[in-house]
Amino acid sequence: MVRELASLKARLFWNGIRADRQRRIGLPLIAALVGWLSWTLATRHADHLSTLSGAARSEYLAWAALIVFVAWVALPVVVFPLDENLDAQQLATLPIPRPRLVAGLIAAAVISVPIIALVALVGTTVAYRPSALLVSLPAGAVFVVMAIAGSQGFTTVMSAVLHSRRGRDLAVFVIMGIGLASFSGYQLVRTTVAEMGVAAAAVAHPLDSLWWLVPPVAPAHAISAAWDGRWVTAVVALVVAAIWTLLIVAGWERVLRWLLVTPRQESAPASARRKVGFSRGRWEVPFIVARKELRFYLRDPRQRLVWTGTVIFVGLAIAAIVVGSAGLARFQDRHWLPMVAPVLVLMVGLPIALNQFGWERNAASYLFALPARPRAVIMGKNLAATTGLLLETLFLGSLLSWFSSSWRWMPLLLPVAIGAIGCLLAVGNIVSILAPLRLPREGTDMFAQATEQGLLALVSQVVSFFTIGLLLVLPASVTVLTVDFGQVVSPWIAGAFAVGWGAFWYGLSLGVSGWLLHRRVPEVVGWVQVY
Amino acid sequence: MVITSIDHPFDDVTPAVWTRDLVRKFGKKNAVDGLDLSIRPGEFYGLLGQNGAGKTTTIRMIVGLLRPTSGSTGIGEFDTWKSPLEVKKRIGVLPEEFNLYERLTGAELLDFTAAMHDVPKKEAVARRDDLLAMLDLEADAGKLVGDYSRGMRKKVALAAAIIARPPVLFLDEPFEGVDAVSARLIRRLLSRYTELGATIVFSSHEMHLVEKLCTRIGIMSHGKLLVEDTPAGLCRRMGVETVEDAFIAAVGGEDEEKKSLPWFESSPA
Repeated sequence: MVRELASLKARLFWNGIRADRQRRIGLPLIAALVGWLSWTLATRHADHLSTLSGAARSEYLAWAALIVFVAWVALPVVVFPLDENLDAQQLATLPIPRPRLVAGLIAAAVISVPIIALVALVGTTVAYRPSALLVSLPAGAVFVVMAIAGSQGFTTVMSAVLHSRRGRDLAVFVIMGIGLASFSGYQLVRTTVAEMGVAAAAVAHPLDSLWWLVPPVAPAHAISAAWDGRWVTAVVALVVAAIWTLLIVAGWERVLRWLLVTPRQESAPASARRKVGFSRGRWEVPFIVARKELRFYLRDPRQRLVWTGTVIFVGLAIAAIVVGSAGLARFQDRHWLPMVAPVLVLMVGLPIALNQFGWERNAASYLFALPARPRAVIMGKNLAATTGLLLETLFLGSLLSWFSSSWRWMPLLLPVAIGAIGCLLAVGNIVSILAPLRLPREGTDMFAQATEQGLLALVSQVVSFFTIGLLLVLPASVTVLTVDFGQVVSPWIAGAFAVGWGAFWYGLSLGVSGWLLHRRVPEVVGWVQVY
Repeated sequence: MVITSIDHPFDDVTPAVWTRDLVRKFGKKNAVDGLDLSIRPGEFYGLLGQNGAGKTTTIRMIVGLLRPTSGSTGIGEFDTWKSPLEVKKRIGVLPEEFNLYERLTGAELLDFTAAMHDVPKKEAVARRDDLLAMLDLEADAGKLVGDYSRGMRKKVALAAAIIARPPVLFLDEPFEGVDAVSARLIRRLLSRYTELGATIVFSSHEMHLVEKLCTRIGIMSHGKLLVEDTPAGLCRRMGVETVEDAFIAAVGGEDEEKKSLPWFESSPA
């Protein structure tokens, strides 16, 4: 059964490449990118292993194992999916004993692109001392299984949380908490390493002694012990690591069992409170589409998550200040701090702006069967995004003004934000039509997404972000001249220039994207449709 | 719900729905292969075929959701690919139930659709309330479509397709999962709608419904139109009693019926 599920995943992977041109183009690119990243990480890891010795090396390896494990578990939920999970729900009706199902899902998860990074890091560690292969090889394998089981178990737990109405409402906060914790942890590690160096930082914060308590540290301890010739300790640690892995797998299996037999809780009581009806105000298509979009921002858990990204950013900054590790406290007396708001909001708006039709999912075929000019549909979506982004800018700007006790730039904030949003949407509209990304159908596992689609989203966002950044160089420079160089340019001129600049690029893009969408409706519908 | 006559834009010469030498290839396979359809205004046209015959592909091309490899499609005087907006103003499409906006409530979905069709607000609200009441969805009007049962989704999708009273309706399996009471209501409503001049293109595997409702039937196989006639004409032509038998005869299903699974014909283990 394990072999069958692994080959099912391989078949799905291969068929996906064969059937989808976007995947055919994207996969080699993504594989190259992940390969390069893995190589970089692995060589740095090898450098650390060879330069450190004794306790420092053991502590370093323990920390490395913990960080890789946490990243592997948290990233699919916080940032983007690392793996296209086989949908356990689809396998639920088959007579597969659950332990085998779980083992099969783990084996299937190995067939993915990002696994290259995990294997590269573990492989580097295992290959460091061939004389310890007897322990390091099984310990490395146990660590890989532990990371995969942990990651899949965690996404299953998150899916279980979303299974209930209350869970769906709380999901944003749960994920925000994970994001906050991860970022704060990252900041702590980064600044500590920057201040003390890897060796001193590792020794100053011992973790290796807790190997029996912290699951991912156990295999690392087994390897360290084997390198030092402490074979009995190594074997004991290996056994403990295996027991931890089994416990994680068993926990995942229990959640999966619950998830497969518990019907999804309907949100009738919540939605029944909603007012019956939709129509109010003007009927023009952009307004109708915008109103529909705004409703989805609030009701779709994934979109809600994107929109609360700003809150997460602010939370991260505050958390970093509270833990006193990022040195961000020095920004507290910067009068220009509120002007950071549009930059943060732009990052939050990227997933929405760059994949406007992907968010339609299967309903795209409904939308495009309605009598609306493509340009009006784009304008409606842009109107909703602009409303959301401006509200967030205002909220964030006010928060940062309060934090820095500087309110003087608040009037300039809105025009600069409008200019920035204009540039964001100018790029976003074109990218949304030329390279829409497929998202999972509503009501299914919100973390399930094709590997290369998840990573492609990241790549297209990075590339588009640089393009948007390029467009913003001029208005940003004018704003900086106004804000940070004693008002060389009057705030009025800076504001008007930002609005004009954004409007120019937006107008240009709207014309092109309206024309493009008019010609590409079937392609867009085909790309975003999930069967 | 009282329906008055339909303001359709078609004269007696121009077909309400047409395809000309329509071809759609998926890889090397011709899903639709040189299809010529001409459906007159006021017809209740049944488009039949086995799974994969090309019915849904044809409908998706006519409504502008799938680009043909070659050939053309249109509604009345308008070509789908030259005047998509004019075509979409004149059609109502019953989408597959999972293609609806799952995070709009039933009432909101109807309002949204009516608004996009430019139905005046007051009129839209009145029609919405009538439809919800008639389809027994009133109590669930404030529930998200994603939380509807399959039958309820079908009903709200049908309501959305007809709320703007388009002159042409495309209905793909409209009665799947719908309870018997609602199904009878919908049947009566649709029949009345065609009497008033609307054109309905109806795709279903429920042959008794096709026989009862359709004024003309086209049977497709492997992307081609095999035969086209009235239900009675079809039965006459095939020398059979029912549309189901005519369909099976047309697609060569009699040969299929002779197939067997010897291993399946023993008592279960």
